[in-house]
Amino acid sequence: MNAALLPIIILLPLLGALLPVLAIRLGRTASAWSAAALSGIALGLLLTLVPQVFAGETLLYRLDWLPAYGLNLALRLDGLGVLFALLILGIGLLVILYARYYLSEHDPMGRFYGFLLLFMAAMLGVVLSENLLLMLIFWELTSLSSFLLIGYWKHRADARQGARLALTITGGGGLALLAGILLLGHISGSYELSVVLASTETIQAHPLYPATLVLILLGAFTKSAQFPFHFWLPHAMAAPTPVSAYLHSATMVKAGVFLLARLFPALAGSELWFYLVAGTGMVTLLLGAYHALFKHDLKGLLAYSTISHLGLITLLFGLGTPLGAVAGVFHIINHAIFKASLFMAAGIIDHESGTRDMRKLNGLWRYMPHTATLAMVAAASMAGVPLFNGFLSKEMFFAETLHHSWLGAWHWLLPVGATLAGVFAVAYSIRFIHDVFFNGDPIDLPRTPHEPPRYMKVPVEILVALCLLVGIFPAWTVAPLLASAAASTVNGTVGGALPHYSLAVWHGFNLPLLMSVIAIAGGALIYVLRHQLFALHARLFRPFDAKALFERQLEQIIGYARRLTALLENGSLQRYLMLLVASAVVLVASGLWGSPLSGPLPAGEVDAVTLAGALALALSAITTTLWHRRRLVALIQLSVVGLVVSIAFVRFAAPDLALTQLSVEMVTIILLMLVLYFLPQQSPAESSPLRIGRDLLLAVAAGGSVALLAWGVLTRPYQTIGDYFMANSLSGGGGSNVVNVILVDFRGFDTLGEVTVLGIAAIGIVMMLSGLQLKMPTADAAGRPWARERYPMILAVISRPLLPLALVVAIYLMLRGHNMPGGGFIAGLVTAIALILQYVASGIAWTQQRMHLDYIKLTAAGVLLAALTGLGSWAFGYPYLTSSFGHFTLPLLGEFELATAMLFDLGVFLAVIGSTLLVLANLGKLSVLKHTLKEER
Amino acid sequence: MIEILVSFFLLVGAAFALIGSWGLVHLPDFYLRLHGPTKATTLGVGGMIIGSVIYFSSHGETLSLHELLVTLFLFITAPVSAHMLAKAALHLQLRSEERTRNRNDV
Repeated sequence: MNAALLPIIILLPLLGALLPVLAIRLGRTASAWSAAALSGIALGLLLTLVPQVFAGETLLYRLDWLPAYGLNLALRLDGLGVLFALLILGIGLLVILYARYYLSEHDPMGRFYGFLLLFMAAMLGVVLSENLLLMLIFWELTSLSSFLLIGYWKHRADARQGARLALTITGGGGLALLAGILLLGHISGSYELSVVLASTETIQAHPLYPATLVLILLGAFTKSAQFPFHFWLPHAMAAPTPVSAYLHSATMVKAGVFLLARLFPALAGSELWFYLVAGTGMVTLLLGAYHALFKHDLKGLLAYSTISHLGLITLLFGLGTPLGAVAGVFHIINHAIFKASLFMAAGIIDHESGTRDMRKLNGLWRYMPHTATLAMVAAASMAGVPLFNGFLSKEMFFAETLHHSWLGAWHWLLPVGATLAGVFAVAYSIRFIHDVFFNGDPIDLPRTPHEPPRYMKVPVEILVALCLLVGIFPAWTVAPLLASAAASTVNGTVGGALPHYSLAVWHGFNLPLLMSVIAIAGGALIYVLRHQLFALHARLFRPFDAKALFERQLEQIIGYARRLTALLENGSLQRYLMLLVASAVVLVASGLWGSPLSGPLPAGEVDAVTLAGALALALSAITTTLWHRRRLVALIQLSVVGLVVSIAFVRFAAPDLALTQLSVEMVTIILLMLVLYFLPQQSPAESSPLRIGRDLLLAVAAGGSVALLAWGVLTRPYQTIGDYFMANSLSGGGGSNVVNVILVDFRGFDTLGEVTVLGIAAIGIVMMLSGLQLKMPTADAAGRPWARERYPMILAVISRPLLPLALVVAIYLMLRGHNMPGGGFIAGLVTAIALILQYVASGIAWTQQRMHLDYIKLTAAGVLLAALTGLGSWAFGYPYLTSSFGHFTLPLLGEFELATAMLFDLGVFLAVIGSTLLVLANLGKLSVLKHTLKEER
Repeated sequence: MIEILVSFFLLVGAAFALIGSWGLVHLPDFYLRLHGPTKATTLGVGGMIIGSVIYFSSHGETLSLHELLVTLFLFITAPVSAHMLAKAALHLQLRSEERTRNRNDV
């Protein structure tokens, strides 16, 4: 029962993402409240589950989705999940409050909260998934929703480019991750985490392990901005600061290290894991720490510091030891807390002073002492000063680097690198505080800085208080959370044993403490010498723009893709048709190669009537081609083809098809007439004799291969599926018209799809036609003007009584469709033709005055009705679109049959009318000059 | 007896259809040719429908009158389409034979 709360926790923000968008009409505060309420409820639900997890339980929720593909809606809540879900929802709540005061009047706030909730849901999905494929879906969703968040200020080019960069890199990593997870599932035989985490030996002994590991790490490293993919993160700083505070402290970039932690029991511990993960982490740690010092942009400094801290966490997991993983999890918590507060403080400074340039921002202490105090605490935590939370995990980190032996004689590399990174971390933390709040007076700021609104500081205060509480009383605050999260990271289950670790602030005089002292002293020294270092840095490193390089390469790849596409797709319809037909011929030929053409059966008898029909068909097809340049003549020839086909249907006992073919034929002719009106009546000769020869050859080959195929099939014995339909139509579908029962019952889902496509196509055509300006021909090819009488009286008068008659026929066809030739499709076409006749005979204005039908709504209603009929069978516990029927007797009328398939058929009927008229009426409108329309009204 | 009757009407209808088609091919100008198909659609189809009514009424249990609906539709639409064709021809001032009657009234 409790586990059933898990999907609700994810669904609340996912479905609720629309709420703030709607609530914005009630004002900005209402919008913020709705977002806060949703995440607050989700947080509350989560908290009710926490005691169970702390007690050592792993909650699993499972709903089969596509079990055949291993994809299930399986959710899992263990210690690691609790930790991340708490961070996501808790910091999310604070960000929502903060953003309410950060965003200006001009920013669309509803959309902001909508995106934020969507992102929140995606993150929750990632951390709560039990099924790896499900996790991947949410993973992609985080990429997409973070794209929307980073590009929130869409009027700014840097925001758009930053968003695109982040999406390209994390999305590309997602593809690698997909491949990696598929391999992982292949190796361990399941996509469920419980199975994967329990098959460590199988996975690491498998020959595909290296490939799997590299692919999964690519996904994690791109997301967590590890070297060499780190460069998207600083560009993502173009986002509003609340977004940065959320994405780069607790969520988006933490998804990568979350993945490392999640799969730690299955993948970690090998030599390859150590070199790849710890190596990448070390490089990123140093690179980020070094660059952070030299950024003049406040958020730039924080961005690189984030990269560096992510490198630290990656390094810790890369060590592959249980204690390393504990320290990694601990640092995830601490970093999330202090980095979120630092981003918020930076946002306040930017908001109140108008710039983020540390060369201008000086001496803000006098203007905003409160904010300055908060920022100082957070920065001290970032630097790893004792009594702040950052110190604890950094101390653990230092201790872990000392106890590692993979590198043999080079074992000193790790602690030295760690200390060096610590030195830089202290230096940039001091710079963040000293440059901004002290260091003289501000230099021409756009605004006079002052303290922000009260509630903008509240989230920062809460986070800073947490920094102190965790830093001073770790055992009373963070210990249970850390213990359960670390246990599930190391063991894959909550209950497993953990190595001993101590959360005390004071461990006595030891090597890690010495490393901390060196870091703090060295950092202070570097900060004092910063001006010389800045000069040296500028001389040594030419500014290297990874983004420009990336964009250039992207352009190049797009160029290749364009050229490749142009080879196949040059815009010529003839070319496409040629390729299509030619490949069909090749496929048929290769399939037929080597097998005897004729089967054992003798060819059937040919009677004179069939032969005559076939000849007529062939002849009219040939003449259509020969006369194709005289378009009207070709059109008439084409209608002969259709007519002969429908006669053939009658001959082979398929009256349904004949009726359909006839009505489709009529609609087509009207459609083509309308289109031909805008085209010259003569086509110019465009093809060279060579091309005609080629096409002729191709046509002969295609026609020949179809004939051969038909011959081959007809001379072989085969079992059709027709017998099944014949036998089950009446008993299973309740109708004796097999064709109709196939359409509405056996293959009802196909029909639903077709009707939907029909509707979409019609709406697409209308969209293409809207606003189209075409040159109206005023005369025919010979220069004779059109007749002056637009709507001949006899036609108009006679066509009117035809409408009710035709409608009666349509209803008749519709009603008897289940048992006799007819059905919704034919009835829809007949109705459509009758209505079109009114348009043709009496004009658009006349018809629309008398008939207020919105064809788009009609089409939609039809599709909806058909879809809902299918849903109805769910209510009775049957599969989708199961038809049910019964026979009823009424006095006077006698016995009659009612089937749910008729409702479905009604939907088809409406959709066919709607989409046919949508296209024809809109095309027709084009052919009527605007002023004549007005005249008629 | 019934069979002879049905065959008679079918033959009459077929004959009219044949004559109409023949005329459509052989008559010299558009206005004359217009007469051909009108014969085929009215008298030709009419004959066959009568044959059909007799056949199905004698073989089925009840009187078969569906076919009359076909006649009704045909009687409404055939003259209109012929009328529209003639109107179009007049508008386009198609060539007509010297011998065609009433040609000067046009």
